[in-house]
Amino acid sequence: METLLGIKGPDFVMLAADTTHANSVIVMKEDENKIHKVADNLLISTVGASGDTEQFTEFIAKNIVLYKMRNGYDLSPKSAAHFTRKNLAESLRSRTPYQVFMFIAGYDVTEGPELTFIDNLASAQSLNYAGHGYGSMFCASIFDRYWHPKITQEEAYDVLKKCVLEIQKRLIVNLKNFNVSVVDKSGVRQLEQISSKSLLDYNAAA
Amino acid sequence: MALAEICKISNASYMKPTAWSSSEVEDELNAYTSNIANPYTLAAPPFENPLENLNKIQANGDKTGIKINFDHGTTTLGFKYQGGVILAVDSRATGGQYIGSQSMKKIVEINQFLLGTLAGGAADCVYWDRVLSKECRLHELRNKERISVAAASKIMANIAHEYKGMGLSMGMMLAGYDKRGPGLYYVDSEGSRTPGNVFSVGSGSIYAFGVLDSGYHWDLEDAAAQELGRRAIYHATFRDAYSGGIIRVYHMTKNGWIKISETDCMELHYKYKEEKESK
Amino acid sequence: MARRYDSRTTIFSPEGRLYQVEYAMEAISHAGTCLGILAEDGIVLAAECRSTNKLLDNAIPSEKIYRLNENMVCSVAGITSDANVLTSELRLIAQRYQFSYGEVIPCEQLVSHLCDIKQAYTQYGGKRPFGVSLLYMGWDSKYGYQLYQSDPSGNYGGWKATCIGNNFGAAISMLKQELADKESIKLDEAKDLAIKVLSKTLDTTKLTPEKVEMATLQRINNATVYSILEKPDVEKLIEKYNKLEAEAEAAKKEKQAQQQSKS
Repeated sequence: METLLGIKGPDFVMLAADTTHANSVIVMKEDENKIHKVADNLLISTVGASGDTEQFTEFIAKNIVLYKMRNGYDLSPKSAAHFTRKNLAESLRSRTPYQVFMFIAGYDVTEGPELTFIDNLASAQSLNYAGHGYGSMFCASIFDRYWHPKITQEEAYDVLKKCVLEIQKRLIVNLKNFNVSVVDKSGVRQLEQISSKSLLDYNAAA
Repeated sequence: MALAEICKISNASYMKPTAWSSSEVEDELNAYTSNIANPYTLAAPPFENPLENLNKIQANGDKTGIKINFDHGTTTLGFKYQGGVILAVDSRATGGQYIGSQSMKKIVEINQFLLGTLAGGAADCVYWDRVLSKECRLHELRNKERISVAAASKIMANIAHEYKGMGLSMGMMLAGYDKRGPGLYYVDSEGSRTPGNVFSVGSGSIYAFGVLDSGYHWDLEDAAAQELGRRAIYHATFRDAYSGGIIRVYHMTKNGWIKISETDCMELHYKYKEEKESK
Repeated sequence: MARRYDSRTTIFSPEGRLYQVEYAMEAISHAGTCLGILAEDGIVLAAECRSTNKLLDNAIPSEKIYRLNENMVCSVAGITSDANVLTSELRLIAQRYQFSYGEVIPCEQLVSHLCDIKQAYTQYGGKRPFGVSLLYMGWDSKYGYQLYQSDPSGNYGGWKATCIGNNFGAAISMLKQELADKESIKLDEAKDLAIKVLSKTLDTTKLTPEKVEMATLQRINNATVYSILEKPDVEKLIEKYNKLEAEAEAAKKEKQAQQQSKS
């Protein structure tokens, strides 16, 4: 039921994630941040089996920090994604596989922006835009329609607004708030939350 | 006889003096009670691959008649507000339709600044809360400083994650007061751990949430907050067959926890009824 | 007395020395010379080949210079069979990194990882250290061209130019002298310099292409290009050096003659 979204532009990657923490049909929390800052140039957003998301993301994040401590430079976003995928693939074949879906978003000075989609079966793809969870199904066509190779951060944020609006309109589950973060050459920033409140006088058609 | 030697017949189980030699029994006993020496070596369910098969056994419980009825029904709640943290719980312990106890203590006093609530498998909760108490005390002795709520809840979540899928059933809240101020965490046997302002756990939680959410406010007065917790649990005991008994309310302040009240829900029922009628 | 501490790799002598490690270093200082020079547009490694028997099969291309991965090459001085173990270990380390992170291992990480293994053999009982020093040349996206050297002790360092094996001290001081007034040099100059240093430090009187193995590493069009110099090319370099040397010698003689005639 949780939803993650990601958009890559020519010089940035933007992630959005709902903030709901639910236990079967009960909402336990409305302000859980699912987008984690892992390094100066790296974001990871995770959904999946509760517990696994936190445990696995933390494991990956701490390893990436350890890499920097050992070598003095950051792991590139591509390598970070490869490393994550490999660990997830190994866990998949263990007795206790992690059930997680994630996006690895990063910006590298030489390689540029990178958005990697990783699913629970450890398939990894580098994509321009994608989503995880039920909400993402409603967003696929919005991305197809509005994404273009030269998309700006403002446009991307607007596309995410359209997505959230559609999710809140068509998905039976109530996903009230979406956190938005962006990573670009100047690092990681959290943008204004997209919520039913902030969308009150938003006109998608405009 | 030579042939028997070659075939190693003497190794076959039916050639042994008893099918259960004393050493085997001893080994098994040691394996299943190793957690007495080291609490983290709790024996997994006594069959192959519990991760998968426990679910199958539970799913076929109706057909086979072998179903483990965990003590599931409970209502517990906790919330933070300007005056600290309130915890309120019922005291009924059930196994299926059967009420096992009407006087369970579902709030565990870990130390003067840390409380835990139990919901789900009573044995699991009590057991791991005791392990947690030990860890917290050791932390205090090692570091000359009380453990933070964040760290205590992380210990619990790590344990839960280690045993994920092996049949543990817990949903607990940890409330405390540390350097960072009042703390409230939700931890469950799925391994999830999350801080928050308002939580309710157990079969009656949906009823408790109803009252709690409509009456909750950050700026509540102490007395009003305590009453809100009590009332929310009362309404849960009224609707939920698996919740009942005594309603206990604890208040976590910067000076440690205080036990506010322990009232029979029946008593509260007539009190609230009277209040309503006199309006 | 020292004998008592000789045979144990793991035990300090009363003077605080690890004899086995020192012996390993000693063994290397008798082995064929290897030198490396870092240029601004590439790196060169040159190694002395001692087995120049006519009966040897020439089809085996390289004896002392090994490719490790896409971006790195090393040359070895010391016990060749030990070196084989270490180079295959290096190749494994490099591939394991690539398997984990999906990119080529940064040079220093490969060197330091191997040095961790070498170090372990100076500390754990019942083992002898590897009798091998290595020179590594490589390129990575973090620090560009790099030249490293590692010891049997597990020590390693990055260099602009260095030498291991027979007569390494003389070679290093020569390299120091030649490069003293230069911030950096071109690869072609580095190749000439390598020949010069080798021919002056080798025990043999005359340098022949059979005795030298040379390899260069460059970045061309965003790809690492590694090449072992063909014998005729080495021959040309040697000839060029011999000519220069003869000219210098002639000039020197002339000068001396002039001075003599003056006096």
